[in-house]
Amino acid sequence: MMVGVETAACCIPYRRLSLPVIRGGRNDAAAPERAVAWFDEDSITMAVEAARQCLAYAQWPDIDGLILASTSSPYDEKQGASIVARALNLPSHVSTMDVAQSLRAGTTAIQYAVAAVKSGEMKRVLVLASDERAVAPGSPGEIDLGDGAVALLIGADDVKLALSGSRSTNNEMMDVWRRSGDRYLHSWEDRFIKKHGYQHVLVSAVREFCESYRCEVKDFSRVCLYAPDPRSHKTAVSELNVAKECVQDPFFGRVGNIGVGAALLQLVAAFESLNVGDRILLASYGDGADVLAFELVSAPPSHATVPRALERRKPVLRYQDFLSAKGLQHSEYADADYQGISATVQYRNAKENLGLVGQRCKSCDTHQFPRGRVCGQCGEKDSWEEVCYSRDFARLLTYTKDAFFPAPEPPTLAGIVEVERHSVDGGKSRGPRMHIQVAECEKDALRCGMQLKFVFRCIHRAGKRPNYFWKCVPIDERESQAV
Amino acid sequence: MIVDAVYEAYDDASINDPAGQIDAIYCGSLYSKSGPVEVSEALKLYKPLTSVMNYCATGTEAVRAAAMSIAAGVYETVLVVGYDKPKDRGVSGPTVNISDVRGLPATPAGWFAVCAQPYFEKYGAGKEHLAKIAVKNHYNGSLAPKSFLKKRISVEEAMNGRMISWPFGLYDCAAQTDGCAAVILTRADQARSYRDNPVYIKGIGSGCAPDPNRDPTFDFRRWKPTENAAREAYAMAGVSNPAKEIHLAQVHDCFTLTELLSYEDLGFIEKGEAKNYIDDGYFELDGGLPVNTDGGLKAFGHPTGASGVRMMVENVLQLQKRAGERSIRRDATLALSHNIGGFPTGCAVAILGIER
Repeated sequence: MMVGVETAACCIPYRRLSLPVIRGGRNDAAAPERAVAWFDEDSITMAVEAARQCLAYAQWPDIDGLILASTSSPYDEKQGASIVARALNLPSHVSTMDVAQSLRAGTTAIQYAVAAVKSGEMKRVLVLASDERAVAPGSPGEIDLGDGAVALLIGADDVKLALSGSRSTNNEMMDVWRRSGDRYLHSWEDRFIKKHGYQHVLVSAVREFCESYRCEVKDFSRVCLYAPDPRSHKTAVSELNVAKECVQDPFFGRVGNIGVGAALLQLVAAFESLNVGDRILLASYGDGADVLAFELVSAPPSHATVPRALERRKPVLRYQDFLSAKGLQHSEYADADYQGISATVQYRNAKENLGLVGQRCKSCDTHQFPRGRVCGQCGEKDSWEEVCYSRDFARLLTYTKDAFFPAPEPPTLAGIVEVERHSVDGGKSRGPRMHIQVAECEKDALRCGMQLKFVFRCIHRAGKRPNYFWKCVPIDERESQAV
Repeated sequence: MIVDAVYEAYDDASINDPAGQIDAIYCGSLYSKSGPVEVSEALKLYKPLTSVMNYCATGTEAVRAAAMSIAAGVYETVLVVGYDKPKDRGVSGPTVNISDVRGLPATPAGWFAVCAQPYFEKYGAGKEHLAKIAVKNHYNGSLAPKSFLKKRISVEEAMNGRMISWPFGLYDCAAQTDGCAAVILTRADQARSYRDNPVYIKGIGSGCAPDPNRDPTFDFRRWKPTENAAREAYAMAGVSNPAKEIHLAQVHDCFTLTELLSYEDLGFIEKGEAKNYIDDGYFELDGGLPVNTDGGLKAFGHPTGASGVRMMVENVLQLQKRAGERSIRRDATLALSHNIGGFPTGCAVAILGIER
């Protein structure tokens, strides 16, 4: 039975922080930079974005399982995968699981997803690897770490990238860690941990993999190696004798080491650029190593998500803005440490707020968001069909730029949108109107009538926890043509 | 504040025995901490006590409820007190509500700004017309002894104010402050026993409309609650041509654009014409239809529950020709006042008249 990746996608946040800006200077487009989850993004929102793209490419198939791999969940106790499932509006019977604590969690999740599909227990499993890296401002490795997420749909029906081998090792070592409650990464002496940790464990794991599968590194068209930093990557490449043309770009200086998704982002990039028959070797590291081999068994997807995500970028111009976005800057606003939104209200509004679910009146066809009992147009009571709007486009009817609302980056762009529903046969119908924030848009670029799409975002952190809802972002030219 | 305003009203109506002459009290407050008991305890006047709240329309709504109680024959003489102490709430401006994740930013400036761009695009008005409204109201406020802000400003200053919520800068936003206003209502056939030149309530109406942020039919170039309230008030007052019959008005200038839209929504001028009338000074003290003669919410101040009642006090003074330096130049026998609030979703309009 051939099991592997059916579709894949990534989410690289729009903002990029460059080395000169970190050092207090002016941005330089040619300088190394890293991807930064902005104030309304976290590991959950990035996972949702990657998942939405991945499932959209597969035309939203039924899935049985969802595994979220992350070392930066906003909760120590409370599942991230179930939040993602609610945001994706998945049915409640989908099995959800978080894999955490190690940067290897992403590859481990793939191994378990593949095992579940092979066993016949599950037909399709969505694997998400998402991290917002906890780097201390001013620390030497700041430029090397990045934020981002990867989504891989694992199944056996429409496999494009078949898993041809997999092997794991475990290794206990205090090299890099964050204790419960720590905000930032700690590590032991650099030379020691690289030599006895990363280099030794990763390289040995790849060699053992090759031995057990009777293959050599040179059999692979592309080698994707996790590495904590560019130098370690170079060392591992040379120790394993990887030919230059077979080294997959690890995206240092553009995205950075995005944690659990780091090796998988390389995998997606390789998948999108290779040909049928090409083989990919992937190794991840964290308290041991996972080595996976894949073979491209059908043509790569026509949409290349990685180059597009790399291209779509906005530089952060002041280090201070980065600190504000990460909540590290003192501000005049009160700390969001009070109780926050009532859990009862959250429970009642979960479908609307996380799933962007509203309703259509069965009597007069009018859409309404949020849900209610009486139709605002025809007055019919309790005659509704639930509708999810998160995959629809929206048109901006009017807007304002609110500089009064507390935000790390005022003014907050907000407006009233009308949802545009596009049916498969090309028909178009009017959805509900919503008051909603607009993100990733220059304040002078707002126009009445512009087309937007929905993105899942953290709206605020009242109660010191993420409170999620949706925002709108402008659609790019390509998406506009599709509309 | 309650004692100051109410005792001034007592004097104005020659009431010397409140406990004997007043039958009931209607209170309007949006930010009240402990309800209408704040009024009865301040005045030590223990009468049937009713509290009315409809966001920024609260003041006019309290007067409307009191007027209805007299019209229904339940009471003869009723005291109405509109008051608010927003500065006691512990925030320096309007509350920024984050009790949910939807509908944010929930700031009044943001809600009232959504009509700006669609209106500007269709009718060619712009920030400079809003600025002229702010300049007018600051000027009028400088002539009103009891106003909060007495600083006159230039169009340039108004245009360059700190941005609050586009297109509203600082000078497009009302000055929220503490305050109280009171009126005493009685049966029309008894009014002359209190003073020689009583002012009559000719019509008082309320209007409600769907949340404009969700209303699938809204065009973002008017406020429907104003149109609805005006229709009811005009019908009650027998006004068929407000452009001619209304001689002056106090309208709800929580933001300059709200005043601009109100000129049209109240039928003073045709939809889309505001910019020309503003440029001509039509709504200034010496204009054809003076608006916000005491500075309005912008300069007199906006103690929410008090504002609608304060507007009626101003209309009474203007109709009785007791407005001093800020008296309008034209003769006036019919005056309108207008409150709108919520997202906005509610509005109340009162039409007062004097007999000469």
